[in-house]
Amino acid sequence: MTVEKSVIEDWLHRCIRCSNCKYIFRDYTPSCPSGEKFRFETYYASGRIGIAQAIHRGEIEWDESLLKPLFACTTCGSCEVQCLAPHSEHIVEMIEEVRYHAVQALGALPEHKKFKDRILETHNPYGADHHNQQMKEIHDLPDSAELVYFIGCTSNYREIEIRDATISLLKKAGVEFTVVDEWCCGSPLLRTGQREPVMNLGTHNIQAFYDTGAKQVVTSCSGCYKTLKEDYAKIGMKHDVNIVHLTQLLEELLGSGKLKVKDAGSIGSITYHDPCHLGKHMGVYEVPREVISRLHVDLIEMSDSRENSWCCGAGGGAKAAYNDWSIETAEKRIQHARAVSVDTIVSACPFCKRNLKETSDEIEVLDISELADGLINS
Amino acid sequence: MQLKNELQRIVGKDFVADGLGERYLYSFDMTENPPREPMMVVMPGSVEEIQAILHLANETRTPVVPFVTGQNVGGLTIPQVDGAVIIDLKRMDRILEVDSEAMYVVVEPGVTFGHLRKYLDENHPDLRYTFPLASPYASVLANALLQGLCDLSSRHGAMGDFINGLEAVLPTGELIRAGSGILGDGYWFSRYPLPDLVGLFSGWQGMTGIVTKIALQLWPRPEFSEHLALFTFGERETVDILKKMGCLQIIDDAICLSIPIIKMLIGVEYPVELYKGEPDYGTLISISGNTETEIKDKIQQIERIVNEAKVQDSRHLLATWDVVIKLMGEQAMEWVDFPSDAFKILTEFDGLTWVGTYIHPKHWAEALTRGRKIVEKYEFELLAFLKVMKGMHFSEFKFIIRFPKDQETLQRIRRCNEELFEMVLDLKALPYKTPVWAAKRLHDRIDPGFLELMKRIKQTLDPNGIMNPGRWGL
Repeated sequence: MTVEKSVIEDWLHRCIRCSNCKYIFRDYTPSCPSGEKFRFETYYASGRIGIAQAIHRGEIEWDESLLKPLFACTTCGSCEVQCLAPHSEHIVEMIEEVRYHAVQALGALPEHKKFKDRILETHNPYGADHHNQQMKEIHDLPDSAELVYFIGCTSNYREIEIRDATISLLKKAGVEFTVVDEWCCGSPLLRTGQREPVMNLGTHNIQAFYDTGAKQVVTSCSGCYKTLKEDYAKIGMKHDVNIVHLTQLLEELLGSGKLKVKDAGSIGSITYHDPCHLGKHMGVYEVPREVISRLHVDLIEMSDSRENSWCCGAGGGAKAAYNDWSIETAEKRIQHARAVSVDTIVSACPFCKRNLKETSDEIEVLDISELADGLINS
Repeated sequence: MQLKNELQRIVGKDFVADGLGERYLYSFDMTENPPREPMMVVMPGSVEEIQAILHLANETRTPVVPFVTGQNVGGLTIPQVDGAVIIDLKRMDRILEVDSEAMYVVVEPGVTFGHLRKYLDENHPDLRYTFPLASPYASVLANALLQGLCDLSSRHGAMGDFINGLEAVLPTGELIRAGSGILGDGYWFSRYPLPDLVGLFSGWQGMTGIVTKIALQLWPRPEFSEHLALFTFGERETVDILKKMGCLQIIDDAICLSIPIIKMLIGVEYPVELYKGEPDYGTLISISGNTETEIKDKIQQIERIVNEAKVQDSRHLLATWDVVIKLMGEQAMEWVDFPSDAFKILTEFDGLTWVGTYIHPKHWAEALTRGRKIVEKYEFELLAFLKVMKGMHFSEFKFIIRFPKDQETLQRIRRCNEELFEMVLDLKALPYKTPVWAAKRLHDRIDPGFLELMKRIKQTLDPNGIMNPGRWGL
């Protein structure tokens, strides 16, 4: 697969390095986990844009020393929120494109190549045996349905409570749905400059949706949501299946009365962490809050929330390649939660849950599917 | 790489970088000034580390260039020699002291306008600093040392005038203080009566040492403030009104902008063009007072001057800020509250430049007229900027150009700026944030004794010539 349209070329003479990308506008607190950690100009969005442009213009040649500045970034998109320049909406695209070129020139980072190899071999980055057929049997799911639950690899093979809670919720709502023989959506590959296999993965998944007669696909993973809904089309895989995030479906099911909230029960105070792929990348901020509100749970917002939320540190291949920094980034988010004295931090993405959980001791970390499943009547 | 190892020993491995990315990104700024790669970048976190770095640099005869938050102009952080080490000071970002009685703040280099603004709002709401039309993340310390301007400049002058004192590491590694802070912390209340050794660092573009702390004057936040917009026609007519208003000594700030900048603020997209019948200039005027009566009185005085001018040309218009908000939306309030918010209009491309000068009032109209012709000749947007400074003693004058850094435009920019620079030198203006090419041209026009004195001071403070060599064309 080649890069047909270069977003770097489109924005080749932009960014005066004004530093707006470094901080939350008018709040002046740090917005870039990478820059905040590594501090050199290379580790902010403006630095990555500068390197991408210089490579594109032939001013510098590929060199191993460029890899860390380009890949030690969660691609959380906070820079896009804070940037006030015309290219603001394309910064992450530029970073992903320059990563693609880096991989072409120097090869993928070993940690990233490892999960690519696993995806090629087993169709998931964890090298796990496929078991969706078993899931169908266990849950007695049909071969065809208008709604498909796209579980996502992390929910399916690591944070399985999210998968189980989601299936439970769909059953409680009495919705007819099924799962398909899903392959990795390709998100980890797109974020780490390894685009080639994505077309094959996407083609398989789209065909699987069509084979079930699906009109709608729901996923509990924010990364899958962005990839299925936005990235597939961007790289030429257009489809007419309606992709929704679980929170969007829950809002509908709660609104229509298909899901009913328990009368009693309290889980204490909670805060909500916006997953970057759901929030900054796809603009879904209010729906999860509406769901939480309908669950009769008091939500206490952290100081940096919605578009200004601090990344959990897991995205963009950062967890695989720079785990210590990734955990450090999650720790900071847990500190934000601690500052508002909550018992639980809720997110809507298995990657967020996984990384926040690793660093949180006293504060419980839940996915919104688990929160909802616990508070909704059978 | 003995030097790298030594620097890593001083600041830690994580804070020395010599990768291609760092060498490239620290080799240029937003202007057209030619790039040059440093050898490496080091990021100290304390005064002691800076002292150790400069000791090492002296020992090894390594040129060093200070750098702070990254929004650099005039090529001021671009090494002028090969093999330089950039000293990035952004880790040193503490607000060390606010004295609300003597009204000053002591900050480290990495403190930005945005951070200072937030800190004062939260902790000292009765005090204010001043803010420029620059990125909110420009260094407060660097802007003061470079004698930049701000939104109280019409009243108080350049930011260099606000310095009460400073602490600096000399190129040879010694730590010194200037100003009343020589008495100890908690006493940074004045720069005088002393030999004014702040002048050994202010305006020197980092050639004489690294300033590690700076004490800057704050002002009471007035209870009442108002803003006005003046739309005028003709260069001579516009500056006549500005001079009369300036002489009233009642204005906090007056920025005269050619009308395309006003249109950019409204949201007109690049390239902003002029249309027949539009005013030539819009001047944003800020006033403040302790009572509403005082504000009303000041407005009446300004109105009187405008009305006098309207006898000659009835098209001049003084608008209240309510009218401006109707034109520009609520963001108009944000701009006057914090001018850095408006900087976004200058972030269209990867290039931004200007030939900035401080200029005698008698040449304002000619500078605007001749500058306009030059900018139009080179087919750039007409973005003139003239700010009344220090109660009418002079003005800051420039033509801003936002541009894509392709080779053709870079060449055109350089020719345009050279022509603008020759024009302002003819008008006996002094360049500020002066790039090396401009400084060299200035040498031929100024008192040779001044240059000789600069060289002697530099030699005395920096015997091995390690601090930002080549700067000021020396």
